[in-house]
Amino acid sequence: MKSAFGVFGATCALAVLLCIGVAAQRRGGPPPAPRPARQIAPFDLAGTWVSIVTEDWRWRMITAPKGDTSSVPVNDAGRQAAMQWDAAADVAAGNQCKAFGIGGIMRQPGRLRITWQDDNTLKLEFDAGTQTRLLHFDRAAVPPAVPPADRTWQGFSSALWEGPGVGRGPADDPRVAGGGLLDRGVPGGGGQGLRGGPPPRGIAQINRGGSLKVTTTQFREGYLRKNGVPYSESATMTEYFHRLPPHPNGDQWLHVVTIVDDPRYLREPFYTSTDFRLEANDAQFNPTPCQTAPPLR
Amino acid sequence: MSRTPFVGFVVAAIVLAAAAPASAQVSFVGDWAGRYHEDQPDRVPGQEPGDFSGIPLNEAGRFYADSWSADWYSVLEHQCAPYTLPYIFVGPNQFRISEERNPDTQELLAIHMYLGTFQLHRTIWMDGRPHPPDYAPHTFIGFSTGEWNGDLLTITTTHIKAGFFRRTGVPESDRTTVVEHWMRHGTLLSQVTIATDPVYLSEPYIRSQEFVLMERGNQNWLYNCEYVTEVARDRTVVPHFLPGENPFLREFAAKHAMPQEGVRGGAETLLPGWKPGAPPLPLVAAKNGGFKPEEQESHLQPGDVRAVHVQGHVYLVVGAGTNIAVQVGEDGVIVVDTGATATDKALAVIRELAKGKEIRWIVNTSFRPDHTAGNEAFSSAGRTVNGNPAAIVAHENAAARMAQGKVPDSARPFNTYFEETRDFPFNGEPVVLYHHAAVTDTDTLVMFRRSDVIVAGEAYSTVSYPMIDLANGGSTRGTIDALNRILLLAIPSKNFEEGGTYVIPGRGRISDEHDVAMYRDMVTIIRDRIKALIAKKKSLAEVLAARPTLDYDGRYGAETGAWTTKMFIEAVYQDLSKP
Repeated sequence: MKSAFGVFGATCALAVLLCIGVAAQRRGGPPPAPRPARQIAPFDLAGTWVSIVTEDWRWRMITAPKGDTSSVPVNDAGRQAAMQWDAAADVAAGNQCKAFGIGGIMRQPGRLRITWQDDNTLKLEFDAGTQTRLLHFDRAAVPPAVPPADRTWQGFSSALWEGPGVGRGPADDPRVAGGGLLDRGVPGGGGQGLRGGPPPRGIAQINRGGSLKVTTTQFREGYLRKNGVPYSESATMTEYFHRLPPHPNGDQWLHVVTIVDDPRYLREPFYTSTDFRLEANDAQFNPTPCQTAPPLR
Repeated sequence: MSRTPFVGFVVAAIVLAAAAPASAQVSFVGDWAGRYHEDQPDRVPGQEPGDFSGIPLNEAGRFYADSWSADWYSVLEHQCAPYTLPYIFVGPNQFRISEERNPDTQELLAIHMYLGTFQLHRTIWMDGRPHPPDYAPHTFIGFSTGEWNGDLLTITTTHIKAGFFRRTGVPESDRTTVVEHWMRHGTLLSQVTIATDPVYLSEPYIRSQEFVLMERGNQNWLYNCEYVTEVARDRTVVPHFLPGENPFLREFAAKHAMPQEGVRGGAETLLPGWKPGAPPLPLVAAKNGGFKPEEQESHLQPGDVRAVHVQGHVYLVVGAGTNIAVQVGEDGVIVVDTGATATDKALAVIRELAKGKEIRWIVNTSFRPDHTAGNEAFSSAGRTVNGNPAAIVAHENAAARMAQGKVPDSARPFNTYFEETRDFPFNGEPVVLYHHAAVTDTDTLVMFRRSDVIVAGEAYSTVSYPMIDLANGGSTRGTIDALNRILLLAIPSKNFEEGGTYVIPGRGRISDEHDVAMYRDMVTIIRDRIKALIAKKKSLAEVLAARPTLDYDGRYGAETGAWTTKMFIEAVYQDLSKP
């Protein structure tokens, strides 16, 4: 009995010391400098990705007729604006990139090249419309409000890693570009089937989950679809980027969820998700100007 | 009272309190409803015929879809069939998710889904169990296992029935496997499905859907479907269009101002830069690989002979070349067919099932050696109640053809029947034998009525076209009649086409009414196509060149072996060419 209390006392003391130590680290001294976003990324997005258009084919691969707002939860104002679409007028006004702005660019068939511009900025280049987006992880980079006249098609995007893999660095697997080591301690099984049981053979386990959340503001109004279905400057734009675990055939997929909430033209948030397949290189990356083919009718 | 447990508790509490907070697994529990902001006209009201856009269909898939008629849904066996997994989340859907946890460890054992659209229950096993073997039944929702990748749930599903990638006849074969990824962001669930179908797709087909958590719940959780006769006609008719005769294939493109080449689908049309009429893009074809069932430990390996319980008193023994069915009970054992190979192993497996009971009866569903090779060994291993070797039962035609083939007396059936049916009680249930001149004139279907299992023999296979043997009295009509007889006898469970009566094919996996109906459709459609070509005075060579089985060859065809596609077409052609 005596020895049991001895163990108990020693353990309590150790635990208290641990608590104090942790608290001291948290309170004392200058706050540690935040680690660069590139270092704490739970997965690597770098590479050239091609959109595989299996959904909304008739609104993405071709230009649907004017007024076709199918699937988009437009309100009356949105429907009326869509009916006013005039591609020639857009070109004449220098607005030919309205379908390539932040609300439509992910849905344009094309290739997406992702690189790190610096340790805290991801650069997304689209060959469709030759557009570039910068995703800023640095909170301090958020600019003051930009007057409407100075806004850009792509606006300003703030980025944030989310999920359990954050801070562990990208997975170290020859099938994934990047570095880092598999961590069996990742909550949720860590992709090892640890708490979900062993996975079926054939699925490579190198993804720790997590996502990249991107919020974009201060953009110009544009089109959700090529045929002039509108979004306004007062919309809010939220995206989640996921790099999916490799498919059994070796394919690597990027999955992007986009939520557009536009009180002016939509009656409810507009959800879409877009899937891109990793290419071996950027040989097929072929920048083209903003150009929207006219509807076939 | 010892203080040690108390001390342990306090220590554990302190250590837990000192530890950093652990992240929890993402929970998907709740009621979810779809958001249809992509392809809404296709997903909610329903597709229009001839729209294959956005699907990496191959030539066979397109051929099938071109032949499909919306009238197909009027066929009784298809009216209440749910969508299969690759499509079910695309169509209108709401589902409820719950978890099953080990009460002692709180480890997640399974995620359960109830899909209101068709009252389907789905289990995603998280406990590491393997997928079922290849001879196990398929279901509309398939067999799923899951694994966590951080906060992302990856699900692999196999054993899915044949169905559609779009409900306007874009086919999905029962060889399809699906990998899903689930991600949750607050009240949003994003689901990616990647379907691999080596029969009808040229590359994996990726889709993604969004679902929103329902805070107030919803109604419409029940599926009320009753069969009705919508069209007055022979119930064995399978509506379809003959090749080149579907009048609706251009309507969709014309109505929506779309290029006809685009709505035909195909992997090349999914890529940026695709334009109608333009030269093919330099691509980067995705490999059509997927989950490999043969890598599962449960898969039947060469040399294996195994038994699996079907239902009631009936078991299936696999690995002996052709399927062997076994009924076991107080009265003893009935063995239906004796296999083509591995007789000793099969017998050993049956003895284990029999638990000391004698093999009393052997039923041959055919005279063919690959169903009767073990007759002598099985018979001599069993005993009738009179102490004789187990009696071999078959239709008289089988006995006659075996005699012609110089099969020894000890391996031949002497308990034969001549009439259309023969029935007798055994092990507390009626056993009914139905004679059919199907692929030969010797065929017998066996129904175990209380167990609710039909042993189909060669009339039905899940691995090949029917081996129609004209020289031995077989016919196309007889084969279709036998399949329709199975459909008359089989009754699915509840109100949709799944489970209920199980059907053991001559070769292949355990099936139910839906599987047999799809096979019946296939044989009927091919019969109709060849018949139409014959009516146009086409020669056998021209019929072969027309490829009337194109859409099914990836599933049932063979270039080599004992029963090739060419042999099947020739048999049907010669049969239908008879005056």
